[in-house]
Amino acid sequence: MAALLTATAAAAGYEAVPVTAESTTEEHGWIRKAQTADSAAFGSLYRMHVDRVYGLCLRMTGNVAEAEDCTQDAFIQAWSKLNNFRGESAFSTWLHRVAVNTVLGRMRKSRREQDRIRAVSDVLPAPETIGDSGGLRDLEQAIDELPSGARHVFVLHAVYGYSHDETSDMLGIAAGTSKAQLHRARRLLAQQLKTECA
Amino acid sequence: MNETDNNNFDDELMAAAAELATEVTPDRDLWPGIEQALPHPGRPARTVWNSTWAQAAAVLLLVGGSSGVTYLAITEDLSPLPPIAGGPTLVFEPVSGSFGSMYNLGPDYQDARRSLAATVDEELGRLTAEERNEVQKNIDVIRAAIEEINKALAAEPDNALLQKLLLSTYRDELGLMMRVDKITSAAMRRGDI
Repeated sequence: MAALLTATAAAAGYEAVPVTAESTTEEHGWIRKAQTADSAAFGSLYRMHVDRVYGLCLRMTGNVAEAEDCTQDAFIQAWSKLNNFRGESAFSTWLHRVAVNTVLGRMRKSRREQDRIRAVSDVLPAPETIGDSGGLRDLEQAIDELPSGARHVFVLHAVYGYSHDETSDMLGIAAGTSKAQLHRARRLLAQQLKTECA
Repeated sequence: MNETDNNNFDDELMAAAAELATEVTPDRDLWPGIEQALPHPGRPARTVWNSTWAQAAAVLLLVGGSSGVTYLAITEDLSPLPPIAGGPTLVFEPVSGSFGSMYNLGPDYQDARRSLAATVDEELGRLTAEERNEVQKNIDVIRAAIEEINKALAAEPDNALLQKLLLSTYRDELGLMMRVDKITSAAMRRGDI
């Protein structure tokens, strides 16, 4: 099991796009232009961040079509709220917050969680066969099957690295609830993964 | 499995989670849909502004409608209502045959809507003036939202977000009318007993 879980991102073939000082400067320029209603600049921001926003939406909704809609809505929301962005946090964090709000708003309205057409694990890139590659795949599947409250906290805290304060702030819940949901998620994941291993 | 094993497993779990992909490329290009919904020079922000407000109105009226209907149910001391049976299927039929052109409501929906509207008009007569005003107010808000979305769609008939919003708002209207119908029917049954 340890080997399953310690497969690395490199082994899975995932490489995050590094944010260099140059790209940050470029990003600041695009933000400034987009704030003056330059949609081309906003398009550049979209291309820079879409994979991360879509990844978050996909993990939170567990539904490809819903994740696509959420991503589009999130960017439309971001455009309309762009003048509220003051640079107090990284743009990606601000955008994530907008995306999380969009996902939660849509989920509250539509309750489409019951209608998952395609599981996340069907569309996420398959890990390459280096080492014990089934681990991340199993984990993806197990996360996808978590109840929504536990899944949202686990995704934001454990996958995206937000603190409990940030996670709870994004989700509109108490920090204690975030910790409790994380504990619940870990327990459920442990049960599921250990069962699969047995 | 002892506590140390559990702690180790937890640590490994969190380490593995941190290694999962945080970036996933969508299967299709989402930018054209986004760009279309953004206000452009010559195509004023009004569209997005309208759709935002129309959506807000639709949500408000749904919440308001639900609250109003709940208020009615409580003040009438009704027994819990049975879940509303599956309503008529909403069908949008493209007049031109191509997606994104002009859309009309399907005949099934039109019939159901007409029939329900007539019933609701009758049923409203059974409510007190205060209750009737509350329900009517919510229906008016929904219909105003529908009109607003239709106006926005006339300017942008291919706007998928507006199309979805219109469908959703019509569904809200139908749901509200069905609830009123159910409540007054239930009240009548209780009165009959």
